Amino acid sequence: MDLHTRTEGNAIVVTLSGRLDAVTAPEFEKSIRELIDSGNSRIVVDFDQLDYISSAGLRGLLLMAKLLNAKGGQSCLANVKGNVRSVFDMCGFCSVFKMENSVAEALAAIA
Amino acid sequence: MIKIEYLSKKFGDLVVLKDISTEIKTGEVVTIIGPSGTGKSTFLRCLNLLETPSGGSITINGVDILDKKTDVAQIRQKMNMVFQSFNLFSHLSVMENLTLGPIKLQGISEQEAQAKALELLRLVGLAEKAGNYPDELSGGQQQRVAIARCLAMEPEIILFDEPTSALDPTMIREVLSVIRRLAKEGMTMAIVTHEMDFARDVSNRVLYMDEGLIYEEGTPEQIFEHPQKEKTRAFINRILSYTRRISSPDYDLYAINAEIEAFCEKQILPKKTRNNLLLLVEELLQIYAPYLGPIVLDITITYSEKNDRLELICESTGEQANPIESASLADELGLMIIRNLTESIDYQWINGKNRLQFLIKK
Repeated sequence: MDLHTRTEGNAIVVTLSGRLDAVTAPEFEKSIRELIDSGNSRIVVDFDQLDYISSAGLRGLLLMAKLLNAKGGQSCLANVKGNVRSVFDMCGFCSVFKMENSVAEALAAIA
Repeated sequence: MIKIEYLSKKFGDLVVLKDISTEIKTGEVVTIIGPSGTGKSTFLRCLNLLETPSGGSITINGVDILDKKTDVAQIRQKMNMVFQSFNLFSHLSVMENLTLGPIKLQGISEQEAQAKALELLRLVGLAEKAGNYPDELSGGQQQRVAIARCLAMEPEIILFDEPTSALDPTMIREVLSVIRRLAKEGMTMAIVTHEMDFARDVSNRVLYMDEGLIYEEGTPEQIFEHPQKEKTRAFINRILSYTRRISSPDYDLYAINAEIEAFCEKQILPKKTRNNLLLLVEELLQIYAPYLGPIVLDITITYSEKNDRLELICESTGEQANPIESASLADELGLMIIRNLTESIDYQWINGKNRLQFLIKK
């Protein structure tokens, strides 16, 4: 998995690519913790380049939501599609997270 | 039609074939299976005299083809061969590849040869490629041209030497479907193949070769469902299933994934099915992980094209308990995914092991 971050206004966009699985989820959780601990409270996660997600990745997202809630922050997921979308559907995650079809829409949703 | 008696072949001191005796009757489809390096291709090449047998006899319709007076070119016309690497003439068009033999060796007119070639290209679904050159075609298309070229010589029997082994999985089906069609039309064929479901479907008889001889032979049902000899059983089990033992929580997920992907590729499973299988295995390993070490997990994946069933079996040591009903699971996420990916889940306690059997959705 590759993880890149960039600042867009008062939000952080986290771009993921490759696999978010049992091997890479700890790295994702560590990065998210660091972002939130350093004061970021609005996070957009862009799934456009992510090919695969397992329950380990979903737990990482739940952790992100929990940490943000504790600080009154918000998150929105963008471009959740294909195999990744199927896994979200299996676990009912589409109703748990705010989701938009593009990063721009996701940024607007948490502005 | 072809009678082979005590056929042997040595390369120096290396004995590749030992006293092979069998018959191939008119209209029969015989597949030859077995581990690599056990003489399958050498056997075919001896039949076609591309290799000179060291001993024994081969007769076709009563004619001894090892007799020095026998016209080898004529034998090869009767018994044509399709190779794994296509062997098309790259400087000739598809049409020219098909008409060269009939014009030069059978003496038929160019017009007649072209009409026949076009008919054969239609049979293999490539009439529109008649003017193309081999390097303009995919591997699967080149092999279908090679089969059409072989048919252009009107052989009485076709020998296929691993016709799909040089092809990508997506192209294998198109070649196998052409061979299946020939089988339905009654063509006599001897096929060396690693495609086990194909061998099971298309053959009248299966020869399992090992140690340079026909170790066991029988109907597809006898060889694939009820092999009698130990080596045949071991080979069939190995080729039709994937098994991995995991005994440490520090298992290498990506190495396991690579092995499963290789298995799926061999079975020509669609990409979505592969992804689902990889996800299912990861979720199961996550559930088993806290217990690995003290307990050992054996994962077996089996696929049957005939029944279109993809199954995964987890057998684990330890106390009797259904691992996916354990109250110690951190959450239900993994289970939700597992249930969504499977049609049925059966738990049994067998021979002192916990056995979970999953029928995977396709």
